[in-house]
Amino acid sequence: MAKEFNVPPVIFPSGGNPAAPASGPQQRRLPTAPFQPPRSSNPGLPFLSFDISSAAASTSFSAAPQFPSNIGGGGIGGVGFDDEPPLLEELGINTKQIYQKTLSILNPFRINHHLHEDADLSGPFIFLMAFGLFQLLAGKLHFGIILGWVTMASMFLYVIFNMLAGKNGNLDMYKCLSLIGYCMLPIVMLSALSLFVPQGGMVIMVITGLFVIWSTRVCTGLVVELANCGDEHRGLIAYACFLIYMLFSLLVIF
Amino acid sequence: MYEEFKSHEIANVLYATGSDILTAYGEKNINISRYMCVNNPRYYFQVNDEYVKNKLKLILFPFLHKGRWMRAMEDDSSSFKSAMHDINAPDLYIPLMAFVTYVLLAAFFLVLCFCRFSPESIGVQFSTGLMCWLMQVLLLEGTLHSLGGGGGSGEIILVPLLDVVSYAGYTFVGAAVVMAVRVSPHPVRWAHLMFCGATLWESFCMGVLLVKIVKRILVFEVPIFDKQMYSTNKRNYVLLFVAAAQFPQLFWLGNVH
Repeated sequence: MAKEFNVPPVIFPSGGNPAAPASGPQQRRLPTAPFQPPRSSNPGLPFLSFDISSAAASTSFSAAPQFPSNIGGGGIGGVGFDDEPPLLEELGINTKQIYQKTLSILNPFRINHHLHEDADLSGPFIFLMAFGLFQLLAGKLHFGIILGWVTMASMFLYVIFNMLAGKNGNLDMYKCLSLIGYCMLPIVMLSALSLFVPQGGMVIMVITGLFVIWSTRVCTGLVVELANCGDEHRGLIAYACFLIYMLFSLLVIF
Repeated sequence: MYEEFKSHEIANVLYATGSDILTAYGEKNINISRYMCVNNPRYYFQVNDEYVKNKLKLILFPFLHKGRWMRAMEDDSSSFKSAMHDINAPDLYIPLMAFVTYVLLAAFFLVLCFCRFSPESIGVQFSTGLMCWLMQVLLLEGTLHSLGGGGGSGEIILVPLLDVVSYAGYTFVGAAVVMAVRVSPHPVRWAHLMFCGATLWESFCMGVLLVKIVKRILVFEVPIFDKQMYSTNKRNYVLLFVAAAQFPQLFWLGNVH
């Protein structure tokens, strides 16, 4: 015995204001399927717009879902998405600059310090997260340790450099942290490599030595160039950087 | 500039607070200025490559030093010359670097010989090393006080605190050498022998170094109003004690487990 299902008629919007739905409980007020967000007057925006103003301005929506009208308009405020800068720019993350700085670190023989005059912490943060991730792939949970050690290492280098350079030392903590973070790139590559090479072997020791010397050379070059008076203490600063990167390489190889 | 200003402000506040507290307790004799005003740490970092190389040679082989042990004075006799011009001047760069090198080498040793590395072990080594540094400082301070006329008699020892800290920190050069010997690849049956030999050698060197430094301080830098305040015999025994105390200290530092 076939059962008849009562399928209520689906009414598609045909543009313009629909006729006011008939009052009365019999006629269900269906939302149009699928749910059509109220389109704002600006067709270029890909995001949902929850503005009261644009909702009021648009005329093309119809049969709006019968939610309480104060949803979605909310307290987001009257500013549209037109005036806000892009998210990355607002956060200060300049991806192009990060990419250029990373490329400049890759060459240990020619140190371009003009790029690094503008210190930023987002590149180092990405590197440190990548470092932690590779360590995690090797089975070691070192995220907190890496962040803590980077902080202490940059304080160490800050004190050493400013004391050595005397009254003219103008390396500030932000730049110091940024430089140490960027020059961590070879160590990150080392930790990626160590996933494929047998642990504790001779190969990884030799590669570690090379990468630590690479890091040291780049870091010393950048610190000496950027803080413009460390040239006569190059060897002393190089030893301090060497100790710092040796400490991080310990985390990788063991 | 701002840093100089800040350090002077803080130093002044601490000095005022300290002297208030001590006056309240009736201890007027203690000259706290050398503890409260850690004056001018920049002086201890005026080093260059050549100074570091020569000073390391001096620390590792003090008995081969043909020159004098006196510290040179500035031209106007107001203060001592900085480390760049005088090999006998104390500095803080070498002790700091030697300390970090020692901690790193100890971590390497722990891994290579016991296959047991955790990042916490570096923290443990760091704390142990700091404690040892502190004990060395206390030993030197005790020596200077006991030979400088004793406490309570109004004698003032004018050696700045950071000087003593830096002399005490030279131990870590020896400790780093000992750890390097332990870490370097060598046949296993000689491991214990090499460790003992290296520690004995370094303790001897450190003993000689510290004795010479303390003797110079006592003879030249401390104003002793009555030269007969202590006997030379007593002085020699105390210096011998200082040298002998280096042996257990270096054994403790080298015994990483």
